[in-house]
Amino acid sequence: GTLQDNSTLLQFKFFYILKLDYESKRKRKVAEIQHALNSSPVDVAALRRMAISEGGLLTDEIRSKVWPKLLNVNTDDLPPKPGPELRENNKDYQQVLLDVQRSLRRFPPRMPDAEREVLQEQLIDSILVVLKRNPQLHYYQGYHDIVVTFLLVVGERMATALVEKLSTHHLRDFMDPTMDNTKHILNYLMPIIESVNPELHDFMQRAEVGTIFALSWLITWFGHVLSDFRHVVRLYDFFLACHPLMPIYFAAVIVLYREHQVLESECDMASVHHLLSQIPQDLPYETLISRAGDLFVQFPPSELSKEAIQQENTAVSTFKDFELVSAQQRPDAVLRRRLREQPQRERRSNITAARTGTRRLMKLAVMGLTVALGAAAFAVANGALEWAAKFELQLFP
Amino acid sequence: MASAPLPLGPPPRCRILKMIVIGDSGVGKTCLTFRFCAGKFPNKTEATIGVDFREKTVEIDGEKIKIQLWDTAGQERFRKSMVQHYYRNVHAVVFVYDITNMATFQSLPAWIEECKQHSLGGEIPRILVGNKCDLKDATQVRTDLAQKFADTHSMPLFETSAKNPGDNDHVEAIFMTLAHKLKNHKPMMLSQPLLDENKVQLDPEPSPGVECYC
Repeated sequence: GTLQDNSTLLQFKFFYILKLDYESKRKRKVAEIQHALNSSPVDVAALRRMAISEGGLLTDEIRSKVWPKLLNVNTDDLPPKPGPELRENNKDYQQVLLDVQRSLRRFPPRMPDAEREVLQEQLIDSILVVLKRNPQLHYYQGYHDIVVTFLLVVGERMATALVEKLSTHHLRDFMDPTMDNTKHILNYLMPIIESVNPELHDFMQRAEVGTIFALSWLITWFGHVLSDFRHVVRLYDFFLACHPLMPIYFAAVIVLYREHQVLESECDMASVHHLLSQIPQDLPYETLISRAGDLFVQFPPSELSKEAIQQENTAVSTFKDFELVSAQQRPDAVLRRRLREQPQRERRSNITAARTGTRRLMKLAVMGLTVALGAAAFAVANGALEWAAKFELQLFP
Repeated sequence: MASAPLPLGPPPRCRILKMIVIGDSGVGKTCLTFRFCAGKFPNKTEATIGVDFREKTVEIDGEKIKIQLWDTAGQERFRKSMVQHYYRNVHAVVFVYDITNMATFQSLPAWIEECKQHSLGGEIPRILVGNKCDLKDATQVRTDLAQKFADTHSMPLFETSAKNPGDNDHVEAIFMTLAHKLKNHKPMMLSQPLLDENKVQLDPEPSPGVECYC
């Protein structure tokens, strides 16, 4: 008995020290974020690093200050709250209403109905305001999953402003009249998987699983499929700070992480689609985020664009249309711009291998991670968290 | 579980019936498929994004048959470039409308046309389901109107409620009717070995559905 007590006590001490270490790291991070926010001009590069690195932006209070900076939105000039006329003769109202009414799972489970209903009304208004002010944008089912995340973190008026910016940049391709460009972005998934794990790729191709299992992941930034809101906002920190194609790399990382499950399933469309579309809720998010960053650096969109185009029948026709659209940061536009740069890049391909090592270091710098904080450190930290929960140490209040 | 005597020799097979469920947003496609596969009404459903998949193994005349239901997004933009992949090798189509919403009924010709474009016309079994019968007071689509439409397109009509507990058997019966119909139409069945151990075998044309357009 005593021996076991001693070992439990030792374990407790060990994790208590880890907890202290974690708390001091966390405090340091909060201070760094404050410092970046208070700098003049605001140090957006530092905020970006904080949003990507372990734990992201930590709390919703910090998020509501940092997200506007990441999107370069002026918080002194927010759109006014709309009147009831917004919903009259509105082409999108019925569909938005239908989707928002059914979005109960996006709200905290213990929230009183009355409070949730007020937020649902605000959600409808936020969406309709953005659509009305930007007639070139088309609503899609799943857009409401994105907007609700912003609404819950920053409140109605700020959410409208942030989502408007996001919709004309990161989400722009999803909001075209058709989903052709969304499909094009999904076509990047298999080449990324192939680059890392050809066996898994071939299995999925044989199963003819397609990529629709990842559609809701991509167009909702995983807001539709993750039930724990803390995981959703953590991913939003990451995606807001990164290249608009990062969500597709993150999707690939999830599939790669589930390699064994996929290879053990029956090799047919239904089995693989079913398995992959049921996303596990206990994913090691910090590790996967770091991996997605790695993959982005190792296999940048420019090196995958050719294969992605080959998967697509309509590439040539949509390519022409795309030349006419010059919106910055549209993920698909970025891809196509890189594609045009391809020949020049190929000439330099002989130095690619040499660059990969440099890239990894660059990536670590970009992502605000130190080399010392490797996979082992992640594992220890995660273990500590699980263990700590039993002692109600409340690392994540 | 009594299984029918199988002839010795061939590997055990489980035949698969693939059905696609289509119709406007909010008519209850997800609830219907959930009801059939899980036997109960889901308490919170959300908009379907892309395609969801559910399945249930049933026994018909002593034979185990796997019914796969592909539940699709209702919003029009998902139809065109997204869902088409899932129309392949489909054995039956279930069209759903909401009896309390005339617009969802009026969209049916567009859905039928959509299917025809994927070579899913009158030659494969199709059924029409009017959902939300528990809301009788709010009926907008009268039975005689729906029946006339169903007759014109040579489809059987079922009016039901995925929500009403008393209709559990009914929802089940709808899908089972379709399964029986398909079972007797053997050329249309896609069959494959239960356990796919033949990974060495290279399959140049993976699982081509044996389809019959006679």
